[in-house]
Amino acid sequence: MAANSFIVALVRVRVHFYSYFKDLAGAAEVSECVAPGSTLEELLRILFARFPKLAAMRKSILIAVGVDYQGADYVLQEGDEVSLFPPVQGG
Amino acid sequence: MRTELTISDDKIDEHALLQKRVMPAGVGAAVYFLGAVRGTEEGRAISAIEYEAFHQMASRQFHLLFDEAGKRWPVESIRLVHRVGRVEVGEASIWVEVVAAHREEAFAACQFIIGEMKRVVPIWKRPVNPGL
Repeated sequence: MAANSFIVALVRVRVHFYSYFKDLAGAAEVSECVAPGSTLEELLRILFARFPKLAAMRKSILIAVGVDYQGADYVLQEGDEVSLFPPVQGG
Repeated sequence: MRTELTISDDKIDEHALLQKRVMPAGVGAAVYFLGAVRGTEEGRAISAIEYEAFHQMASRQFHLLFDEAGKRWPVESIRLVHRVGRVEVGEASIWVEVVAAHREEAFAACQFIIGEMKRVVPIWKRPVNPGL
């Protein structure tokens, strides 16, 4: 290994899709790896490139990590369970 | 404050829910709301609605709403049942009850929970066309 080489451990997260986002993504869940320190905004950029139909929903997308809503500036942690879904419609 | 939450694909048994109502001394109001599936959705006839929930998060968000309602109004108890899966036209999809000392806080808390639920609780619906 060259003296100036280094290894960066990527952060692995699981992404779940709900409602018609499953149809847009063609899957109920996927795995993604992001660079350490990446935010949800950066994850979205990766997902929109991977699933272009989702990109059209960017203005109405809701995001949760675990069971709580999070904003685009949330910094992803190893093993995070991220959920993406459209506006809710209960009742 | 006592709370009960059920998210289930079982039919909502309103009679059983009413029989289990608890009204302690000093409590004078019980307000409940029942929401049923209408026969039309955005002007088109439907036969049912399929409800999908992100169960763990829905439970968390409902309990956050209950806590918030309890902070805003002196509420004795909240019970809420939300159905998931296929719900036929005319069947109940949601039932919410608030018990409180006075009607003002019971009505206000019930309205708050229903209104906020439609904003934050991850449940979605998909209309089912007639014949399906």
